[in-house]
Amino acid sequence: MIRQIAIYGKGGIGKSTTTQNTVAALAEAGKKVMIVGCDPKADSTRLILNKKMQNTVMDMARDAGSVEDLELEEVLQSGYGDVKCAESGGPEPGVGCAGRGVITAINFLEEEGAYTDDLDFVFYDVLGDVVCGGFAMPMREGKAQEIYIVTSGEMMAMYAANNIARGILKYAHSGGIRLGGLICNSRNTDREDELIEALASKLGTQMIHFIPRENEVQRAELRRQTVIQYNPEHAQADEYRTLAKKIAENTNFVIPTPISMDELEELLMEFGIMEADIVDEPVAVA
Amino acid sequence: MEIKDHNDLFSQPVYQAQFEAKKEFENPAAQSEIDRVSAWTQTDEYRELNFAREGVVINPCKACQPLGAVLVSLGFEKTLPFVQGSQGCTSYFRSHLSRHFKEPIATVSSSMTEDAAVFGGMSNMSEGLENCNALYSPDMIAVSTTCMAEVIGDDLGAYITNSKDAGAVPRELPVPFAHTPSFSGSHLNGYDVMLKGILEELAKPGEPNGKINIIPGFDGYAGNLREIKRMLTVMGVDFTMLADYSDVVDSGNTGHYELYPTGGTTLADAADAVNAIATISLQRVASAKTGELITKQWEQEFVAVGEPVGINATDAFLAEVSRITGKCVPAELEAERARAVDVIVDSHPYVHGKRLAMLGDPDLLLGLISFALEIGMKPVHVVCTNGDKKFKKAAEAMLAASPFGSEATVHNKKDMWHLRSLMFTEPVDLLMGPSNAKFLWKDTGTPFFRVGFPLFDRHHLHKRTILGYEGTTNLLTDIVNLVLDEMDRHAITSDSPSFDLVR
Amino acid sequence: MTTPSVKINQTQKVIDEILSVYPEKARADRALHFKPNDPTSDCSSCVVKSNVKSRPGVMTVRGCAYAGSKGVVWGPVKDVIHISHGPVGCGAYSNWSRRNYYNGETGIDSFATMHVTSDFQERDIVYGGDKKLATIVDELDGLFPLAKGISVQSECPVGLIGDDIESVAKAKTADIGKPVVPVRCEGFRGVSQSLGHHIANDAIRDHVFDKQATDIETTPYDVTVIGDYNIGGDAWASRRILEEMGLRVIAQWTGDATMAELANAPKAKLNLIHCYRSMNYICRHMEETYGVPWVEYNFFGPTKIYESIRRIAENFDDTIKANAEVLIEKMKPEMDAVIAEYKPLLEGKTVMLYVGGLRPRHVIGAYEDLGMEIIAAGYEFGHNDEYKRTYPLLEEGSIIVDDATPYELEEIAKRLKPDLVGSGIKEKYAYHKMGVPFRQMHSWDYSGPYHGFDGFKIFARDMDMTVNSPVWGLVRDVTSTECATPSGAERQAS
Repeated sequence: MIRQIAIYGKGGIGKSTTTQNTVAALAEAGKKVMIVGCDPKADSTRLILNKKMQNTVMDMARDAGSVEDLELEEVLQSGYGDVKCAESGGPEPGVGCAGRGVITAINFLEEEGAYTDDLDFVFYDVLGDVVCGGFAMPMREGKAQEIYIVTSGEMMAMYAANNIARGILKYAHSGGIRLGGLICNSRNTDREDELIEALASKLGTQMIHFIPRENEVQRAELRRQTVIQYNPEHAQADEYRTLAKKIAENTNFVIPTPISMDELEELLMEFGIMEADIVDEPVAVA
Repeated sequence: MEIKDHNDLFSQPVYQAQFEAKKEFENPAAQSEIDRVSAWTQTDEYRELNFAREGVVINPCKACQPLGAVLVSLGFEKTLPFVQGSQGCTSYFRSHLSRHFKEPIATVSSSMTEDAAVFGGMSNMSEGLENCNALYSPDMIAVSTTCMAEVIGDDLGAYITNSKDAGAVPRELPVPFAHTPSFSGSHLNGYDVMLKGILEELAKPGEPNGKINIIPGFDGYAGNLREIKRMLTVMGVDFTMLADYSDVVDSGNTGHYELYPTGGTTLADAADAVNAIATISLQRVASAKTGELITKQWEQEFVAVGEPVGINATDAFLAEVSRITGKCVPAELEAERARAVDVIVDSHPYVHGKRLAMLGDPDLLLGLISFALEIGMKPVHVVCTNGDKKFKKAAEAMLAASPFGSEATVHNKKDMWHLRSLMFTEPVDLLMGPSNAKFLWKDTGTPFFRVGFPLFDRHHLHKRTILGYEGTTNLLTDIVNLVLDEMDRHAITSDSPSFDLVR
Repeated sequence: MTTPSVKINQTQKVIDEILSVYPEKARADRALHFKPNDPTSDCSSCVVKSNVKSRPGVMTVRGCAYAGSKGVVWGPVKDVIHISHGPVGCGAYSNWSRRNYYNGETGIDSFATMHVTSDFQERDIVYGGDKKLATIVDELDGLFPLAKGISVQSECPVGLIGDDIESVAKAKTADIGKPVVPVRCEGFRGVSQSLGHHIANDAIRDHVFDKQATDIETTPYDVTVIGDYNIGGDAWASRRILEEMGLRVIAQWTGDATMAELANAPKAKLNLIHCYRSMNYICRHMEETYGVPWVEYNFFGPTKIYESIRRIAENFDDTIKANAEVLIEKMKPEMDAVIAEYKPLLEGKTVMLYVGGLRPRHVIGAYEDLGMEIIAAGYEFGHNDEYKRTYPLLEEGSIIVDDATPYELEEIAKRLKPDLVGSGIKEKYAYHKMGVPFRQMHSWDYSGPYHGFDGFKIFARDMDMTVNSPVWGLVRDVTSTECATPSGAERQAS
C-alpha cells in the first residue's frame, strides 16, 4: 500500500525544501519514494535531481500537442536515492489555469502507471494555499490520505495554515483525507515553537516537528542538493531524518478544526505577535 | 392549393430579384473575386496552406466527451444521465442525439452558473440529484462533467458522497461518475470513462458466470447492437452487452412516452459483468480505460477485436467469440456469410476500383477500410479527427497489406476542410462519412454515402445494421445502388445512351 | 382584487397537482413560474417569475449564452467567420442546425454553416488560449481572404481561465485590417440563451457601429429588419412584403446578413423588430444614440400581418400608407383562400406552445386565423416584458409557464390533451410517443418559411398535415391488445 502524502503551505514558506529533504531522508533509509510537484514554478524536485528544473508534464504536453501524446519516461525521472520525480508544470503567472495543470498531470501519471506497487511513499508538493479545485486535486479520494502543513511563527503563514485546514475539512467528510500535523519551518520568531504548538492544538492536531533555521540548508540548495546529500553529517540533516521518521511512524491523523479569524487573532495577540491596537488595520489574507 | 415552401419558393423570379437587389446593402465581394478565390481553394497551393494550419480546426468530425458519457449511460436500464456543469451543454447533447436517433433523450444538468464558477458546483450537484431523483425516479444516475466543472476542478466523488450524506438521494442509489473534460479526446473517450465509472460502481465480484461481455462502443446504429446480440444468440453464447441502448434510442410508439423505455442492460447484469470469462470490445478507442479496469482490476481477458464490418472482420469477430466461448459458428451464420459473399460477387463490377474518401471515428474507419479492400474498392483519403497513433498504424498496416490500399494516405487529427483540399486536388469516386460531410458532396460533386455518426439528414438509417454478414449485405446493397443511381442520373443529365434497364 | 374565476381556479388546481411531485424547495420555486392566465386584470395575479436560474436536475429545456450569441445572433452573419473559441463540442452541436438560410458560396465568401473551432486541448486550458487565438486569426485570414471579419465566440473555459481575448482581438484587428470581434458569451454566464443575445448585441454596438464601413445612400424609406434569423427563408418572405410596401430594407439582422448590413442599421429611418427578446437591446441603443425609432411587428398569420403592415406604414408618408392598403387588398383574397381551405380542418383544435424568443406570443394570431386555440404557452428564456405582452393575447385560465421542465409539459399535455404541441427537437419525439401531433417551432420542423404571406400558406399546410395526419390513428398501445403477451403485461405493471 502506497502512502500518499500532500504537503501544503503558504508560498515561500519552504515547502519544497522541507519536502525534498524529508524525502531524501526517507530514501536514505531505504524507502521508495515519488515526488509529484504541483506548482507551476516546478521547483519541487530540483534538489533531488540536482538540476535546474525537469521537463514538466504540461510543458511536454504543450510541445507534443496533447497529453495523450506523452510518454511517461519523458516526464518521470529518478534522482538521489532513486527517488522518482515528476512536475506538473504550468503557466506563467497571470495566464491560463495552473490548477487544471495539477489535475491533468496527476491524471496522466496515474493513467500511465507511475504509481507502481513498489513505492512506499508519494509526496505531493502543492503550491501555496488551496485556491481552487485544481489545487485540491491531491486531496481527492484515492489520492493523498494525509496532509502536513508547513508553517512558521509568522502571521501570514499561520493564516494560510488555518485556511488549508478549512480545505481539508471540506474533503475530510467525503473522503479519507486527514491532517497529520503542522511542520514548523522556523523563521526564528519569538516563542515560535510554543505558538505553533498552540495553533496545532486549536486545529486539533500536533506540531509534528520543529525544524530550526540553519544556513546549511541554503548552502546545499545553492548546489541543488538536499542537506542529506550535501552534508549528511550535519545536525540539520538529522532534523530532517527525525521529521521523516516521525512522518513514517505517525498515527495521529485528524479531521482538523479550523478556527475563526477572531480566534486566530486572539492567539496571535496572546503571543504578542499582533498588538491589540493594530487589529483594525486591514490584513491581507494569503 | 399550390403551396411552395423553401424548396422551390425562392427560385421564383420575385425572390431572385430580391436577392440581387439586396446586394446593394451587403457590400459583397466582386463575382470575379469569388470565382478566383473559389478556384484557388481547389489548388495544390491552397492545399499546402490548408495543411500548414496549427491552430484552427475547421469542420472537425468529432464531438466532445460528455456526449459519449450520456450515450453509454442510456444503455443501462432506468439510468438518468446527469451532467455537472453549464446547462447549455446538456441541451446540446440532448438535441444532438435526438437529431440522430429521432428519439427523446432524457438527460439532466446541474445548471451551474457564474456563482458556481467561483464557489464550485457542490450545491448544484446536491440539489440536482435530489430534484432529478424526485421527478424522474431513476434506478441509477450516471454523472459526467462539462468543461466548466473540469476547469474549476469539481471533485465528483466527494460531491456525490456529500450529497448522499445530506440525504439528497438514498445512499443505495448507484451514482457512478466520470470526469469527461471536453478539452481532451472526443465523444469516444467519454463513452469509455463513463462505462468504466459505471462498472466500477456496480461490479459485484462473485462466482464465475460463464458469460462474455460485449462492448459495442459509441455506435450510432441501434441496428448494430441488435445484430451483435442476434449473432451471439444464434451461436448460443451467453453474454452481457455493456451497454445496450438499442431499445432505448429506438423505442416503439405505443401512445405512451416512457422516460426510460423498456430495455438497456440491467444493473444486475452489469454488476455481474465482473464475473464473466472475457470481454470483447468492438471499439478499441472507446474502451481503452474500461479495458484496463477489466484486465488489471478484474483480471479478466479483454480483447478489442474491432468493428465487424465486411466479411473478413466479421470472420475475425466470430472466430474470437468462438475461441473464447468454445462455441462453433453455426450453419445459420455460415449461410448468412454465403449470401453476403454472393451479393458481393454479383455486384463487384460496379464497385471495383472505385476510389474512396473516407471519414469517421477511428474504429469504424478500420472496419470500413477492411470492407472496402475486400470488395476491391480503393481507399485514397482516410481522414480521422479523433484517432490516435495506434489507429494510424493499424490503418496503414491494413492498407499496406492490400494492393487496393496502395494509393491511400491516412490523415489522423485532420478535419473536413483538409479533406476538401484532398478531394479537389486528388478527386475520388465516392465519399463515405457522416451527414456533416454533405457539404463536401455539394462542393466537389462527389457521390456521398452516409455512414457513421451523426446521421441527421436521412431517416432511420440508425435502425439498420452495418455489422456482421447481414450488415455487409446492407452496406454492399446501399453502396452499389448509390453507384447505379449516379450512373443513371449521369445518363439522364448528359443524355447518354447508358440508361440500362438491366444492370 | 376580484375573485378568481372558475376557469382560473380549475387551472390552478391542475398546476398544483403537477407541482406536487417536486421536493419542497423546487416546488416553491416552480410555483412562481407556473400560472393560470388572467387577461382581464392588471395581471398582478398571473405574473410569472422569469429570467432567473433554472433549478438543477429538473431537465430544463434552456441553453446557454453561447447558444444565444453564436447560435442565434452572430452565427447567421454570413460573411464573418465565427470561431467557437474553446473545446470542440459547442460548435459541433450548434453547427448548421438552426437553418439560417443565406445566399453565397460557403467557404469562399460565406461561412455561416462552417464549424470553425479552436478545439482547446488540456494545454490550452493550462497555459491559456490567447496565443492560439492569434495564430487562428492569422490562419483564417490566409485561408479565407474574402471574409469581412472574424468573431470570437467564447466558450466556458475562456472565461474561467481568464484569457484576454479582447486584447488579442484588438491587436489582430490592426494586423489583418479586418474586424476581429471578441464576444464574451461563455455558457456559464447568465441563466439561459438570453444573456448571450444581450452580450452579442453589445458586441455589435462596441465593435461594428461607427467602426465598420457603411457607404450606402439613404432615402426616407429606409428600414431594417431586426431579429429575423431567416429560418427556412423567413426574412426573405418578410422582406418581400416590406419592399412591396415601397420600403427599402437596408439591413437584415441577422439572417442572411453581412457585416455591412450590421453597420448600415443606424442609418435607417425606422428599425422594425420581430424577435424582441434577442435584439431589443440594440434597438434601444440605436434609438438613444442615433435617434432611430423602432417598432415591433408580427408577420405570422394574415391578421397580424395586416395589423403590422398598417402600424409600420403609420410611420411613413401617404404613399407608403396607400401602398400598404393596396398590398393588403391584393393579398387578402389569397389569404382568405388559405383560411377557407384550412380553417375547416383545424377549427377548435387546441395548441400548447413552448418555445423561445418571440414565438409563444407571435404565433398566437396565426393559429387563431386558422380557428385554433392556445391553451398553454411558455417561454424558455422570456423576461417580464414578454410575459406582459402575452397575457392579453391568451384566454382566461390558459396556462402560462416559464422555463418549464419536460415533466411539467408532459403533465400539461396529459391533463389538457392539446391537439397540437409546438416546441423543440428535444421535446418532439416524446410527444410523438404520446401520440400527440407535434411541430418543431424553432426550426419549423425543416419546413418554412412561416413569416409573411408566403409563410402563412406553408404554416397552414404544415399544421394541417400534422394535426390531421392519418398516422396518429396507427398508434396502438401494446398493452391494450386482446392477446396480451407476458412482456406486455410486465410493461403495464411497470
